[in-house]
Amino acid sequence: MRGFRLFAVFALSALGVVACGGGGGGGGGTTSKPDKVQIAAEGPFTGDEASIGAGALQGAQLAVKQFNAKGGVHGTPVTLLTWDDQHSPQTATTLQAQGISDPTVLGVIGPMNSGVVLATAQGLQGASPPLPFVSESASNTKVTDSGWTVAHRVNARDDSQGPAGAKFMIEQGVKKVEIMDAKSDYSTALADQTAQYLQKNATNVAIHRDSAQHGQTDFATIVQNIKSFGADWVYFGDEGPEVAPFVQQLKQAGLTIGQNIQFLGGDGTDDASIIKNSQGAYVGAYATNITADPASVSTAASFVTAFKQEYGADLCKGGPFYGSAYEATQILLDAINKAPVNNGKISRADVITQLANNTFDTIFGQVKFNSKGDVTTGGVYLYQAKADGTMATVKQVSG
Amino acid sequence: MGAAAGRPHTPMAYFLQNFPQQLVNGLETGSLYALVALGYTLVYGILEMLNFAHGDVYMVGGFLAAGVAVLFVHSGVAAFPAGLVVALMVVAAMAGTGLLGLGIERLAYRPLRNASRLAPLITAIGVSLLLESVVQVRVSPAPVLVPSNALVPQVVIHAGSVGTPLMAVVLVVVSVLLMIALDLFIFRTQFGAAMRATAQDREAASFMGIDIDRVIMVTFLIGSALAGMGGVLFGLRFATVDFFMGFLIGIKAFTAAVIGGIGNIRGAMVGGFLLGVLESLGGGFVSTEFQDVFAFLALILVLLVRPQGLFGEKPLERA
Repeated sequence: MRGFRLFAVFALSALGVVACGGGGGGGGGTTSKPDKVQIAAEGPFTGDEASIGAGALQGAQLAVKQFNAKGGVHGTPVTLLTWDDQHSPQTATTLQAQGISDPTVLGVIGPMNSGVVLATAQGLQGASPPLPFVSESASNTKVTDSGWTVAHRVNARDDSQGPAGAKFMIEQGVKKVEIMDAKSDYSTALADQTAQYLQKNATNVAIHRDSAQHGQTDFATIVQNIKSFGADWVYFGDEGPEVAPFVQQLKQAGLTIGQNIQFLGGDGTDDASIIKNSQGAYVGAYATNITADPASVSTAASFVTAFKQEYGADLCKGGPFYGSAYEATQILLDAINKAPVNNGKISRADVITQLANNTFDTIFGQVKFNSKGDVTTGGVYLYQAKADGTMATVKQVSG
Repeated sequence: MGAAAGRPHTPMAYFLQNFPQQLVNGLETGSLYALVALGYTLVYGILEMLNFAHGDVYMVGGFLAAGVAVLFVHSGVAAFPAGLVVALMVVAAMAGTGLLGLGIERLAYRPLRNASRLAPLITAIGVSLLLESVVQVRVSPAPVLVPSNALVPQVVIHAGSVGTPLMAVVLVVVSVLLMIALDLFIFRTQFGAAMRATAQDREAASFMGIDIDRVIMVTFLIGSALAGMGGVLFGLRFATVDFFMGFLIGIKAFTAAVIGGIGNIRGAMVGGFLLGVLESLGGGFVSTEFQDVFAFLALILVLLVRPQGLFGEKPLERA
């Protein structure tokens, strides 16, 4: 009996008419079809950080669409859930609960904000089986240093982004730098990393620290601090929304970026919408980013064409992470695709194993996670705000 | 650690060099706080309720102004002189928020006027969330640019070592003028007397023939329109509005109103300026990281020493 059934399965697969997973009990090899496959994209897709999140969501949507067009997971199309956490850990917890309790949700693209990851990863890890995530933008070192097997990211870490920014400022001859944060897990950690590198490697550089507040628009006090300190560089590790009013007020106070002051920000400030929202005051500012700009990577050319076709020619609207979101989605889908199917089900535990052990082909080349969940290939790139309203790649500064 | 390295002078010299500028900055911040605080204190004076939706009325004012500005500046109808556009922004924002205030009072607070004191408080928080969500979903989840460069001259006014943008000066002057006008209205007109009477004793005032509903409506109208004007000034000064902008200033303005003595109009003005200056000096000379701490420390101190606030008198003499 047993031998006959095995033979039948072999024969059928050879003929290309693979039995459906739902057919009978007991069977189910790695090639049967899963009943239902869902993944979620999580990030601040609306709200004050929508300029970062909305494009990332589009990247993930495009990846899923293309994956499904090629047949999905052994013939089952993947459903993409949209979890708009608005960078609030509370909202994130509520959204994740539906994924934790539904075993057909096999993974998460995101969460995008480090603060959200740090507040919710424990819950994802504690789910049974644990719910893996691949973030496209969370850069705080603790995201992958905390020993969570669910944690993965495709972007570079703060302890490479901070030093990379610091190195660039030293290279440019910085003397006095005003280092600002906006009091978040992402922002403060990044500013600290930058300051620490300068303190260690450029002892002659004077540092003054200030903290902005999330949602702050009136920067008169800080601008005056910068003036009386006599800074020639400002480093702002911000998630984005505070930069436009800040640089406008710098300019009003007689400090023009590119002339008598230089500006460098972290990945949250690699955002072309700041140029418009600051009425041009941002032009000349530098920003590091923890992922490459797909438009400047040859292997991503067909992706960029497809993205433009889908969402319009203006790539600025994609924000800084549309490429890394696509990359993260590619990896997660590939891992799911490689996981075994048993009785029409794919286990999240197997997806985690695949993520840990496999190598994945992405638009940015081959990607493999190390034991922590960091990519071994991620670099930090430098961008500059241009008068034509774009953030142009200057060079790769580490990686 | 790095802080000291960047300051070449003695602490005293540093203080003297920067004090005037930080003081001016603080007055600007404070005038906005005061303008919004007036709305809190007016309503509390008459109804003894905290209108927590007030910060969001201010936000709606900012969006109305931004809408007018974007319409005229970006739609190619650029033939309009900037002054006219600004005037239209003011009219749209003040009229819009005034009506909004009336609507909120009529729909959300009046039915609860005789309910327990907790009910309107919770309702106010609900209205606040409603306004934020509607603007977020229906208008814009992202910050909206107010094209201020095209509307107000980007001139910086210098006086000695102090430099401040023209718009900041305008903000302070307009706020102070509005406060003086309100003060005159309350203390010099017959309707103002009716408002003060209602604040003192609503029942007795109604026996004297004062139309209480009308007084309350006018109170909401004035308070909301002032917040709307605050939204316009903010938009022109900082060139951005977002759906969440009313939250922080709402809390700050409430703090200012309490410091000044909630229910007391002059107290709210003084409280607003005091809070702005405290924050600016604290941020400038101690640490911006603890900027908000100074504000709330001041609140706690005032409440410890004078629970009724700086200008709060005997509870019956509220205005």
